[in-house]
Amino acid sequence: MKDTPLANCERDFLLKAIEEKKRLDGRQTYDYRKIKITFGTDYGCCFVDLGKTRVMAQVSCEIVTPKENRPNEGIMFFNIELSPMASPAFEQGRQSELSVNLNRQLERCLRNSKCIDTESLCVVSGEKVWQIRVDIHMLNHDGNLMDAASIAAITALYHFKRPDVGIQGEEVTVYPPEERDPIPLSIYHMPISVSFSFFQQGTYLLVDPCEREERVMDGLLMIAMNKHREICSIQSSGGIMLLKEQVMRCSKIASVKVSEITELITKALENDKKARKAGGRFGFAESMPQERITALKKDETPVEMTDVTETAYDIVQKAEAPPQTVPSPVLPVPGMGQVGLGLQNSWGLEDDEEEEEEDDDSVEEQEEKVTKMEVEQHRKEQSSGDVVEISDSEEEEVIILQPEIPNRGPKNAGSSSDQKGAAKSKKRQTK
Amino acid sequence: MMEVCGSSNVSLREFGCEQSLLSRPDGSASFIQGDTSVLAGVYGPAEVKVSKEIYDRATLEVLVQPKVGLPSVRERSQEQCVRETCEASLLSSLHPRSSLTLILQVLHDDGSLLSCFLNAACMALMDAGLPMSCLFCGVTCAIHADGQIITDPTAAQEKESRALMTFAIDSTEHKVLMSSTKGSFSVHELQQCIAVSQKASEKIFQFYRDSVRRRYSKTL
Amino acid sequence: MFSCLKHKVGEVLLPGDEFSFQPEDTISLTDTVKPEKVICGPGLRRSGDRLLVSKSGVLRTKQPNMFWVDSQQKRYVPAKGETVIGIVTVKSGDVFKVDCGGSEQASLSYLAFEGATKRNRPNVQVGDLVFSQFVIANKDMEPELVCVDSSGRANGMGVFGGGGLLFRVSLGLIRRLLAPQSPLRAELQQLFPHELVIGMNGRLWVKASSVQQTLIIANLLESCENMTAEQRRQLFRRAAQGAL
Repeated sequence: MKDTPLANCERDFLLKAIEEKKRLDGRQTYDYRKIKITFGTDYGCCFVDLGKTRVMAQVSCEIVTPKENRPNEGIMFFNIELSPMASPAFEQGRQSELSVNLNRQLERCLRNSKCIDTESLCVVSGEKVWQIRVDIHMLNHDGNLMDAASIAAITALYHFKRPDVGIQGEEVTVYPPEERDPIPLSIYHMPISVSFSFFQQGTYLLVDPCEREERVMDGLLMIAMNKHREICSIQSSGGIMLLKEQVMRCSKIASVKVSEITELITKALENDKKARKAGGRFGFAESMPQERITALKKDETPVEMTDVTETAYDIVQKAEAPPQTVPSPVLPVPGMGQVGLGLQNSWGLEDDEEEEEEDDDSVEEQEEKVTKMEVEQHRKEQSSGDVVEISDSEEEEVIILQPEIPNRGPKNAGSSSDQKGAAKSKKRQTK
Repeated sequence: MMEVCGSSNVSLREFGCEQSLLSRPDGSASFIQGDTSVLAGVYGPAEVKVSKEIYDRATLEVLVQPKVGLPSVRERSQEQCVRETCEASLLSSLHPRSSLTLILQVLHDDGSLLSCFLNAACMALMDAGLPMSCLFCGVTCAIHADGQIITDPTAAQEKESRALMTFAIDSTEHKVLMSSTKGSFSVHELQQCIAVSQKASEKIFQFYRDSVRRRYSKTL
Repeated sequence: MFSCLKHKVGEVLLPGDEFSFQPEDTISLTDTVKPEKVICGPGLRRSGDRLLVSKSGVLRTKQPNMFWVDSQQKRYVPAKGETVIGIVTVKSGDVFKVDCGGSEQASLSYLAFEGATKRNRPNVQVGDLVFSQFVIANKDMEPELVCVDSSGRANGMGVFGGGGLLFRVSLGLIRRLLAPQSPLRAELQQLFPHELVIGMNGRLWVKASSVQQTLIIANLLESCENMTAEQRRQLFRRAAQGAL
């Protein structure tokens, strides 16, 4: 699916607004959009809303064998999924340039900055280490996916707890959370990415570009930094020339933003910890805004079960009992015998095989026990038709289609199989 | 949430829904059943790839995104279940040669995931304003080892159960649109579960109505 | 005969709801009995002697006997006679391809502009906005747009959009803006002088004297999606006082 094209007037207006230091949503040049951090019910599940951009991160772990050159280090794995939910331009299962770039940048921001103590993830040196996997799903794309992803990933890593392991001799036991409390990852620092977009060959600069601003920008600078003002990665794309002063100014702005965001993350983590300790409700379900007009919640509701047993019993009773006795053999053509459903003639007539299939198709849609009888009749009809040897194939088709007609209607889930049947009968006709 | 079953005490966990919460998709909804939650987004009717074009109806694509890792066989079968239900209720012949894409993202799985998919899908399709002949909802029933029926089971209850069934039920005649079962059960138990699901579906349809009514309350 | 429909006007309907028409029990002796006709708009479908609802929304009516379901959807489906804001995407030979938010790009002939001849082609570039009307729009055919009315006049249609801002709102809000004597439009007019182009496909184009004012109007309109009339008036009052 294609994205909506950008009109010339939008481009002109955006650039003009940026020149006047105005932004679409009324922000100032260096303002971030509102950041909201919520946690899921699991450990290591985090949602980040950056304005309308929405991202989910989930951390998981498993025990694997380590890489040969690093026998006592755990493995970090990052995966950014550009789900088609986020934007119609994203396609399922296709590695686009954007997703490669984002993955690369996130890896540099979180793995290469050595913010996670990978040696603490070693279980048995050279044999067993923990692999920490971070899955990031983009849910809604309204610009600046990178910053949202980096906030979500690091928050989820802080939130995550891996199961405890015990080693006795050769044996490694992974304790479930009920037996031993899971342990959090040891993280040294918190790198956060801040994006700057440049317009008019670097004359104008905006922090946290939204989707439409991203579409008209000339270049992008991403700086990942922690609150100690250490730069963890820096990347410029779009091919614009930046002056030294510009980069210095960006890094200053980044340090301010990073300390603000770090504070927000710490607070969010604390709140969640408190809520979990208090034993109250937490997680995504609780974060649903109740006051919104588009949201509604209903408490636990009992389902009436008073006459369920009776109804079910009635249905079972009313339904025809499956035939217990084997029906008498049918002789379609002299020299051929057929009994019930079990015996099929194996004389390899192509037409016959097709008939079988069609029968199956129509059977699927009905309750089995009821149909068994009908199919029997159905087959008799057909086979008697064969005996008469009708030269006109049209009549034959009428016989086949008829039992299907009453099945059509909205109650059929298997409408596709219905069509299959119809298509097949058409095929026969052409034959 | 202990369900005492077999008697007259089958219940649905608390459930909630938020519609059009995402700005990009044409329709979106998040549906929550207890701790299980699913986010659904719909795009369409939109341009369709020539290879997927169907001349007399819209091409419906359902994508299930698991929380961890890439979609596997399990997700494919869930996609199929949801797609067949949606195809039965959507009037896709009104938008021939166009594509409808429904994306379902698992936010948390605590049992009854398939029914949560169905409910989220229905709300998102409604939000997108696609023409439908009827609404549908999903109800999951688990049969405990001792024969008790549990509706809307949690993940723990699912694990303990002997059989698990999910039904999609339509809003007009309360008939079964789709069923997906696992485990062994008798005919009588199946009918009983269908009857329970039909009862439970009434509650969910009432909830649909309430939430849509709430949504339009300011423009009445 | 359609009392059951009239009864439900202003209520929320869901897909699958249905109305069945039975002939009336009592026949009036004084009035002449004439067959009543009902016109079903979007969201209502006839099936035999029943009327099925296919979209969720509020049932609205208009004299005489017109009924439709008003919903807040975002995606546009082209309909004949509707005026939309399109973005020109391709210039190929004698037609332009225009994106108007539907499932297929619409075609717009270069002759379908006021005063256009084979020699005198209109000046349209890729990426320009055109305000135009659907002459062909049905599910089985490629939609076609024109920028002239039946008498060959532009009548406000054509290429436009120097300096203004284009943005998207829900189709429900567009219909509220276009309703005759719309209170929303009247309130907007009182704020500051501005130009507003409303496309039925959910696109709005605004231009006011300054960038600031254009942005204010755009953001006000985007936020009126889910507001009661009272809330909206308050917001507009604050905007007028310069609080925003």
